[in-house]
Amino acid sequence: MTALRALIRKEIASLFGTPTAWLTLTMVALVTALIFFDHLRLYNQLLFAYASTTMGGFASDTIPDYINLWDMVFFPVMEQLGLTLLGAVPLVTMRVFSEERSRGTDELLLSTSLTPGQIVLGKFAVTFGFVALMMAVSFVYPATAIERGGLGAMHLVVVFAGLTLLAIGLASIGLVCSAFTSSQLLAAMLGWAMAFLLWDFGWVQPFVSEGFASVLDAISLHPRYGAFSEGIVSPGDVAYFAALAIVAFGAVRFSFDLRRVG
Amino acid sequence: MLALAFSGLVAITFGLASFYATDHFGLYASANIAGGSVALAIGAVLGARRARGAGGPHARAVIARGLTRILFCLLLAVTIERVAAWSGVALDFTQERSFEFEPATIEACRALPGLRATLFYDPLDPRVRRTRLLLATLARHCDVETAERVIDDALLDAERFEVTSSNTVVLESGKRFETVGRPSEGTLYEGLYRLRSLDSGVLTVLRGDGAGDLQSYRETGYSGLANALETEGYRLLSIVSPALTAVPDETTALLVNAPQRQLPAVALGAIRSYLASGGRMVALLEPGLTSGIESVLAEYGIEALDGVVVDPMFATPERSALGPSVISNSYETHLVTRGLNRNRMTFFPSTRAFRLRKPQVSDRLVRLVLASHLSWVAESPGALAEGASADAKETRRQYHTIVAAGRYERKGRRIRIVAFGSSRFASNRHLRTLFNLDLIVNAVHWVAEREPEIAIRPKIRSTVQFPLPIESSLATLYGVGLLVPEILLIGGGVVWLRRRHS
Repeated sequence: MTALRALIRKEIASLFGTPTAWLTLTMVALVTALIFFDHLRLYNQLLFAYASTTMGGFASDTIPDYINLWDMVFFPVMEQLGLTLLGAVPLVTMRVFSEERSRGTDELLLSTSLTPGQIVLGKFAVTFGFVALMMAVSFVYPATAIERGGLGAMHLVVVFAGLTLLAIGLASIGLVCSAFTSSQLLAAMLGWAMAFLLWDFGWVQPFVSEGFASVLDAISLHPRYGAFSEGIVSPGDVAYFAALAIVAFGAVRFSFDLRRVG
Repeated sequence: MLALAFSGLVAITFGLASFYATDHFGLYASANIAGGSVALAIGAVLGARRARGAGGPHARAVIARGLTRILFCLLLAVTIERVAAWSGVALDFTQERSFEFEPATIEACRALPGLRATLFYDPLDPRVRRTRLLLATLARHCDVETAERVIDDALLDAERFEVTSSNTVVLESGKRFETVGRPSEGTLYEGLYRLRSLDSGVLTVLRGDGAGDLQSYRETGYSGLANALETEGYRLLSIVSPALTAVPDETTALLVNAPQRQLPAVALGAIRSYLASGGRMVALLEPGLTSGIESVLAEYGIEALDGVVVDPMFATPERSALGPSVISNSYETHLVTRGLNRNRMTFFPSTRAFRLRKPQVSDRLVRLVLASHLSWVAESPGALAEGASADAKETRRQYHTIVAAGRYERKGRRIRIVAFGSSRFASNRHLRTLFNLDLIVNAVHWVAEREPEIAIRPKIRSTVQFPLPIESSLATLYGVGLLVPEILLIGGGVVWLRRRHS
């Protein structure tokens, strides 16, 4: 356990010792704030425009249904942040294993008392912790704005829980990609490609059978985290992201076996 | 090999990105995905040929163990996901619990065996995701078969079911159907209720003499109330009050909606004899109007006070009134108010108050809805001005009764009356405000002795159309939204520079 703790400490130090981690944190927090504020502003403007032009006030049933906090703020923010994470997370994960490989320090790690499983566990824990921190930092502004307005704080928590799970899912994919190459650029590229591929298999549906399409739909990322924007938490969706992390753990562990045989 | 695989990945990524951006599989997306896949496949084959050296018995054993481990992880992952999905649990964290149905909806659905719900939609309509969740929630609670049809692929059926736009649900039970546009729990509930086609009896409505018009679709009209009562199974029978000589025998209950002029003595006599013979009446009064119905109510111990109730409870923080509007959340325990509580308020744009005195010991008079303990009854119009305060009070502050119910027994006949101090609370403008609809419809059910139908109905409209003050949002953006990333960037830069120099 001491060795595992040392590995985690070393991972945290090396993560925050690079400008990439800080820039990613800054970028995600800034993009979240700007996207959220922009949607909030638009929502308010339309709400007041409808309320004032009709002189009917808020109880007059003249405001269209689609002008509501969910459809105009929560859902689009979640969609846009999802795509932002798709771009940002592979930048965080690309170096985790591939850097060790390119420098040859993975051999050193294996010569310590740590088993390959523990090494993978340590690196997964730090990466997942980082993406959770990233989402927590970006959550501060929307939460403050919504709380001050006295609206839907629990719903917002669920939205960010969905985004955090998506970030963890994307990190799982990125870590697998990083484990099978010594090139950080290739790891990032592979991470983006895999994430795009898994994002939504809706485009394949016209070409495959209904049964296969439903299997593809079940392994798609987008439908899984989409329900969170509605304020609904299904154990099945949470389990999907946990399952993704388990499979990624197995695949990364396998990459260590492959290294042993050449 | 690596360059080929890399190029393939870039091409696939850009192909998919173009599809997600345009929602269209154009030449660019197709060519990129096809070309990228070929490049990736060639790269993989070349890579596999290079890896042929790892084919020794020891290597094969190691790889086999690794693959077994992956297979185990995959099985574990699929099992966890399937078990969790099988549970069918869904936790609703929306502000108004949009996906936790009211018991009334579930009951209405269960009363229709073999129900089928078909969603007609346009694939690009984002509202459909919410409707799918609604139908899935409905299917969890009752025996309903759900289906989906793309409108463009089902034009004949769309025409048959009178579907005019995307995001429309058709509810079918046997040969009957109801088309529900803009589905919400509220509209689905009303559709289900209409499908049940209950017969709750005849509601005789007095019109003429300036009474609230149940056929008017204007904001001041009451067509919404008429629709709601018909949805609940009542057949409405309009009678011109000057011509009323006797209330029809088929009447289940009588609805008197705030006549603005004095009713003829013959009409009042007819109402009196109807009540005396075991009649049931819902009477809606209005401040400043006298029609003679007040004297009928007074005979049954419900005395309407002159003037209007002023209640500053929900007005400004300084507790000065904003006019005669009353928002009430004080209810006595009674079947009519079942389900209403502190958080389920009713809104009265202006209302009279009642004083209750039992004519006979055996009578049961109940104060159903009360204004707050800060309310008073103002007789002069000046007291209604914005900012009216305690100094302007004309009666003492107390809980004033604004809705009352009475149950009487006369010569072995049971009489039921509900009196409202306001009629405008049930007008088209205010009927669906807060829980007004539930109060008036439940009152009608109670006088008609249809107590099992008393329920809190799901709301049709979303309640999340509240503004967020922009000044507050701007202050939060500067104070938190921009400051946090700025501090992160400065902190990160300092750490990185220090490490670089050391």
